[in-house]
Amino acid sequence: MNKKSEKEEKSCSRREFIKVGGAVSAGLQVGAVAGAGIAAGRDPSTHTGWQHLGDNTQFVDRSKLIRKGPAYEISRETLRPELHESPFGRQRLIMQDMRQYREMIRSFDAGEERQQGMGNREPLPQGETAPETTGGVRPAEAETSFPPMEAFKEPMLSWYRDRPDLYELDRVRVEEIMPKKRQDEKTYGEYYTLINAWSDSWNTSEPIKEPPEESDFKIGGRRKIGEPMPFKSPAHAAKLVKKAAHHFGATMVGITTIEPDWCYNYNLRGSENRGSYEVPKHWKFVIAFGVPHQWEQVNSNPNSGTSSDAYSRSSIAARRLEIFIKSLGYPARRHSPMDGYDLIAVPYLVKAGLGEQGRHGIVVTPETGSNFRAAFVTTSLEMEIDQSIDFGVKEFCEHCQICADICPSGSISKAENNDEMNTRGYRHWEINQTSCYNFWMQSMGGMGCRLCLIACPFSRKSNWVHSLARKLDTHDPTGLVDNGLTMMQKNLFDTPEAHEYLPQPDGRFANFREPPEWLQVKNYLDINVTDPSTGD
Amino acid sequence: MITNLVIFAFIVGLLTGAVVVGAVTWAKELGLKMTWWKWLLSALWYLMMLFLLFAAFTFIGEGEPAAGWKTLGISVVLLVILGAGLARVLKSK
Repeated sequence: MNKKSEKEEKSCSRREFIKVGGAVSAGLQVGAVAGAGIAAGRDPSTHTGWQHLGDNTQFVDRSKLIRKGPAYEISRETLRPELHESPFGRQRLIMQDMRQYREMIRSFDAGEERQQGMGNREPLPQGETAPETTGGVRPAEAETSFPPMEAFKEPMLSWYRDRPDLYELDRVRVEEIMPKKRQDEKTYGEYYTLINAWSDSWNTSEPIKEPPEESDFKIGGRRKIGEPMPFKSPAHAAKLVKKAAHHFGATMVGITTIEPDWCYNYNLRGSENRGSYEVPKHWKFVIAFGVPHQWEQVNSNPNSGTSSDAYSRSSIAARRLEIFIKSLGYPARRHSPMDGYDLIAVPYLVKAGLGEQGRHGIVVTPETGSNFRAAFVTTSLEMEIDQSIDFGVKEFCEHCQICADICPSGSISKAENNDEMNTRGYRHWEINQTSCYNFWMQSMGGMGCRLCLIACPFSRKSNWVHSLARKLDTHDPTGLVDNGLTMMQKNLFDTPEAHEYLPQPDGRFANFREPPEWLQVKNYLDINVTDPSTGD
Repeated sequence: MITNLVIFAFIVGLLTGAVVVGAVTWAKELGLKMTWWKWLLSALWYLMMLFLLFAAFTFIGEGEPAAGWKTLGISVVLLVILGAGLARVLKSK
């Protein structure tokens, strides 16, 4: 009896032990999973990749995403891009013209006969005067005011007549935004000391000083390239070039052929001719690649961000790749953020199969979303080319609109689709580059704005949760994952409202996320700074 | 990194074994008439809990605490509702 009771007691205590052990194990498992989650979230190797140099850097198999049909739909006659179409190019022309405009007003005031019009392109018709000077009365603000539309020469005059909204945006930038920015710099500039220092330190510019027929055939500016080394096949050439590009620092690499429409129609680097030019015949292939920004830093856009890190890394990779190809006996020319481009980045990235063009006008890749900066090398080396891809970005962008909602300048369209849009004959999402540029001129820190780039749901880190989401989305024909991702991004991730990114008093110089602690002045420098978000 | 993963998988494996043995004992103790599909539903609920916890803490780890805590809150509500349903199913004859 006693033995039986003892046995029962032992069995009971064993059962109790197993029950308690099971419950404790479940608790420990929960703790382990939570700890593993935190470790997975923090893991720096998931910071979208520039650190990786192995084959797995291009970690999406694009062969399953090949687009049916061309990279872009052509909706009318296609054209090459002109200088005045870009707000950067226009700003240069405006500054040049404003200097001449002021001189003209001064000489007019001094009673001199005006012989030449403003700008260096076409003289004003004889007898015509700019409105400010009519009647010989010059307003006090003429020295700083934006010239009237009629005072601009062709092609700016026609451009402004067709797009008076852009004239107004350019006027606002020159007359209001730029002086305000100078004032903001005085008030808050020191708050961004470390960010500016960090941004400046990435400068690795090495401009090309000779035209393509010379510079593309020399190594290091002196030594002529040797005889071209024969490759086993174009596929071998492509494989080697991609491998080299990876090791030079490129995360994603694609290869395509040259399209003259996508080469600028002005300012060929190294050429004395600043106008239109024929695309050099030895530019047959384009190697396109991307390098992501440093993660924690790119998140602190727009007022504490910079593009310089990715600019620098992609530019150095381009320089190395150019020399690598030249060393094998083929002419090559780099096109990169630090050294300049002779071609437009976005369409080549799309055609080379690196990604699709999103609502925000820039490219979304399956790996890093929009978080990357592009560089290119043009060459005559024959390589197997890549196909453009379709992983559902167009459809995703049609209902997402997160970038459009967050854009402080409202430059991103909220249209349902891009059916009515075309740029120089090509149908794709387009943004108002001028109002976008105007916000760049207002932002602090490393100047510029990369909000749309980081707010894109595809631009999350490459940890398991976001990688899984991207993978599911890429393979989901129903759109359910699209909707789920968008809903999660809008409801789970807290972000400031669009107006909060604006300067005082309309906004508070907000950032998408705070900059890393090592880029915050208060943590390292012994100086008094005014916090732009509070004014204290 | 790989060593850490192996150690982690080993520990989680040991804990999973203990959880399974404990669950069987609990089921007997509570007089639940378990069938294969009841075990399957229970395992799915448990795995879902671990998955959601993993996701929530990954958000927290990547510097998105708001997303992490919101995910955790939503997960708890969801798991309690599903857990209550599961309990009814398990108790059914």
